Amino acid sequence: MKRLINQTPAPMLRVLLGLLPFVLLVLLYMFASEARLTENPSDKLLPSFTQIGDAIERMAFEPSKRSGDYLFWEDTLSSLTRLGMGVLIASAIGLALGLFTGALPLVSASASPLLTVVSLIPPLAILPVLFIVFGLGELSKVALIAIGITPFIARDIQRRTQEIPSEQLVKAQTLGANTSQIICRVLLPQLMPRLVDAVRLSLGAGWLFLIAAEAIAATEGLGYRIFLVRRYMAMDVILPYVAWITLLAFVIDALLATLSRRLFPWHHHGGQ
Amino acid sequence: MIEARNLWKKFGDKVVLERINLQVQEGEFVTLVGTSGCGKSTFLNMLLGTEPVSSGELLLHGKPVPGEPGPDRGIVFQQYSVFPHMTVLQNVMAARGFARRSLTGALFGSARREAREEALGLLEEVGLSHAQGLYPAELSGGMRQRLAIAQALLGRPGILLLDEPFGALDPGIRADMHDLVLRLWRQYRLTVFMVTHDLKEGFYLGTRLWVFDKTRHDPQAPNAYGATITYDLPVGKIDRDTLSDIDRDLARAVTETA
Amino acid sequence: MKRISLFLLLLLLSTTASARDSFKICWSIYVGWVPWAYGADQGIVDKWADKYGIDIEVVQINDYIESINQYSMGEFDACTMTNMDALTIPAAGGVDSTALIVGDFSNGNDGIVLKGKDSLADIKGQTVNLVELSVSHYLLARGLESVGLTERDVEVVNTSDADMVAVYATPGVTAVATWNPLLSEVAAMPDSHRVFDSSQIPGEVIDLLIINTETLAANPALGKALTGAWYEIMAHMSGGDERATAAKTFLAELSGTDLPGFESQLASTEMFYTPAEALALTNSEQVKETMQTVAEFSHKHGLLGEGAPDATFIGVETPAGVYGDSNNIKLRFDPTYMQMALDGEL
Repeated sequence: MKRLINQTPAPMLRVLLGLLPFVLLVLLYMFASEARLTENPSDKLLPSFTQIGDAIERMAFEPSKRSGDYLFWEDTLSSLTRLGMGVLIASAIGLALGLFTGALPLVSASASPLLTVVSLIPPLAILPVLFIVFGLGELSKVALIAIGITPFIARDIQRRTQEIPSEQLVKAQTLGANTSQIICRVLLPQLMPRLVDAVRLSLGAGWLFLIAAEAIAATEGLGYRIFLVRRYMAMDVILPYVAWITLLAFVIDALLATLSRRLFPWHHHGGQ
Repeated sequence: MIEARNLWKKFGDKVVLERINLQVQEGEFVTLVGTSGCGKSTFLNMLLGTEPVSSGELLLHGKPVPGEPGPDRGIVFQQYSVFPHMTVLQNVMAARGFARRSLTGALFGSARREAREEALGLLEEVGLSHAQGLYPAELSGGMRQRLAIAQALLGRPGILLLDEPFGALDPGIRADMHDLVLRLWRQYRLTVFMVTHDLKEGFYLGTRLWVFDKTRHDPQAPNAYGATITYDLPVGKIDRDTLSDIDRDLARAVTETA
Repeated sequence: MKRISLFLLLLLLSTTASARDSFKICWSIYVGWVPWAYGADQGIVDKWADKYGIDIEVVQINDYIESINQYSMGEFDACTMTNMDALTIPAAGGVDSTALIVGDFSNGNDGIVLKGKDSLADIKGQTVNLVELSVSHYLLARGLESVGLTERDVEVVNTSDADMVAVYATPGVTAVATWNPLLSEVAAMPDSHRVFDSSQIPGEVIDLLIINTETLAANPALGKALTGAWYEIMAHMSGGDERATAAKTFLAELSGTDLPGFESQLASTEMFYTPAEALALTNSEQVKETMQTVAEFSHKHGLLGEGAPDATFIGVETPAGVYGDSNNIKLRFDPTYMQMALDGEL
């Protein structure tokens, strides 16, 4: 018998072991839900899978009685739009800030201390300020996401820029490159896959800020719906929404990873 | 073309190089040897323009060496000399783009075609034609250094600086690289400065060998004195005794450093 | 870990009502409910619990909806809430609940404020910020009705109560519906007008102490102790003497205001300091009618659950009769214990 640390599961077994916790969770849920519903058929805390299915059917595939919209898709679309805009703006600003502070000591001297301080401000704490500055509409929600993750992206890109070996910069200079050429041809292309990594890491926070913003003031969105139906404990809606958000987050992350491998094959060949 | 007059280099209180006086003519192949930390790489960096001179003068064509790297001095480092996000061909072509006064250094149209032809020719010369579409991470160490050299040459530098370029390579590959460097040196009429910690390599390659070492020692203050050039030898004209002298001196310096 | 196992236990063993001697009730910050903190602090609740040989723990929960959810899950035996939330959360969730104490009704504590306009009819076409599906939403619907409008004439934006005041300060926001103390803060801002409030629908927004019906049936002692304690607290608060001032100062501090501030909140609340006042409303026909209005509003907004075919799906029992399905009674207005307090039987 090998030592426990040397025992590795066969591929098939590995898949089964990976699925096991999910199956157990589902079983535990079904058991608990069943128990509660037997006691009280109107119980809302742990709806059965049938009830959840009905809720999904109602939210996603039937037009709403009040507005005639397909609420689920409308919520998804507006949430993804907000998230996408926020992340896009944050990436653009974060890339520019990180690149210039990382590459140009003069810019760094004046911008880095500010960036450090700004990145320490908890974004949710300045939400009321954002409302006053940007109003209650889409802008403040996008702004919250952007403000929330820009400092992280900027600081990450700044560090990545500084990590690019100085030998490369010297080499470019010995080939006659000027500052803008070095930025455009040496630094920027090498930062793109790192930007994708930074975005992937900050998406979790992005979702957090999105849902927080939607919980505070909104007329549609995934976070809005969850916080709205929480008022009457409609777990049959909340649970699929949470699962859907998890799935979206997973898919977006996988898409970004694939995109990065396609676009920047050199980045994924391992170290130089 | 290159002249040093009473050149000193200090890092704070620490004297690294002192009292360096020398003259180098166009077309010489100078190898720099010495123990680690003796300042041979620092000297190379001063030529490159990434390290400022502390006192004295370092002249290039009669003028002080510029305070930043420029296209007249090519460089090959031990590693990180090539751009990992460009293919082999793009790496070499990049030099042409950088030589143009544009914002991005991108090449278009006929300029692009010319650069491509030229780059392909150079790759042929260094034996990398078959690898032109690969990324540096997919190359072996030797191929990567060939690429670095080809890239440096496309900038048409008068001076080529080599900072331990073959330090990380296997012995067999090194021999190939030596042949390559010697061939290109002659072909492009380069002035070469090469830092190496391998004395034999220094002897084999150079027309002139510099040994960096400390001549003065203060046991109380090990940083008070810097290294200087203790031997400046025209290679090929030295006898076996001198070689063993240098070997002994270097060995002593190593023990002391340790 | 303890929390997790507690949660799991809770999931598996849903509340089974049986005779016990230890109970938990919860309350959240609101002028009509904060007296429970005074009762707990002064030992009044303990005194009455001891009298009936039981143990009552009084817990404050910061988030109002969370407190109701906790009660609905069976974590607490009783909880403070409004009549509308009692219908839409525990009752709609199948938890048979009883209004043990009818504490007060909102008499101006909930209202609608417009910026730059001074008549409710001007709300037409505006965007209204409010906590959707809350009493404010109900109030808006009732207000609109009073001027011949419907919810289609406005756009409702769900807005968290915690941010209501900050939100109101932004230029884009022109109409809000909210409750005190937010209401008075918002109304006090420049060019703001209170165009409708709950004093125009007296007795419709009722603040209750809701108790689990089965728990109450199995433990009448709990009902007696809570009712007894409540009216002793009320007696402390309502006098014109020093004790009343001390009590109200204590409650004011707890509510994050001062005595005059608390007094003004009390002024827009119709507190029932005596059981007689509470019984007058409880036994009236009005409660039944109000619950009908509330149920119809709730059904229209899907609050009674998707399984509810119409507003009468959930039965509400009042002394004046049952509204809705008498086979599915989940909310009961029970005057028994308040009557005992009136008769001095506690």
